[in-house]
Amino acid sequence: MPEPSTPAVDQVVDCTGLACPLPVVKTAQAIKKLVPGQVLELLATDPGVEPDMRAWSSRTGNDLLGITKQGDVFHILIRRVN
Amino acid sequence: MWADDSETKILYVQTHGADDPGRSATPFYLAASAAAMEFEVMIYFTMYGPTLLRKDVVDKIGPKGDQGQPLRYFIEQATTLGVRLLVCQPSLALNDLSLEDLIEGVEVIGGAAFNDLAASADAVISF
Repeated sequence: MPEPSTPAVDQVVDCTGLACPLPVVKTAQAIKKLVPGQVLELLATDPGVEPDMRAWSSRTGNDLLGITKQGDVFHILIRRVN
Repeated sequence: MWADDSETKILYVQTHGADDPGRSATPFYLAASAAAMEFEVMIYFTMYGPTLLRKDVVDKIGPKGDQGQPLRYFIEQATTLGVRLLVCQPSLALNDLSLEDLIEGVEVIGGAAFNDLAASADAVISF
């Protein structure tokens, strides 16, 4: 069986070990440097990052493609929309 | 004073000052988060709040005392994202301060401007 397809990641933002609000702040800064359609992967260990990134994506209009957790690390994929 | 009527706007109010470091940083955290969400954000410092913006204070206190980052780090995190910092003249006088005693970029407003900002904000959050 092939793995479910995951989008190619254009940039990784590593916020492991960093606390709120840094994952949100660094994602907001990094995504402005992508062009629409490109995908950012945020790595974070802050336990509040999932609701935070859902709220951030919803408010900024960017596309939250998925959140997975491997060990203590959340992997959050976001596509820049505009 | 809000730049863009179409943006969501949040006005934070900080009344605590340098004598209470544990209450110093959270408004900056929340303001930075809001700015990262593309909200328009201002923090109004009144009562003892302006003492947090003193040039000779921002490197000396932090929310956890000697541990962790100084207050300047949290202030700059917010202002780098576009958060504006406001004070009023009576609060400067209350704390024997002038604008020159504060870090760069702080704007002075009065009660009418504050109330206008509050009335036209989507949320006003006071600490």
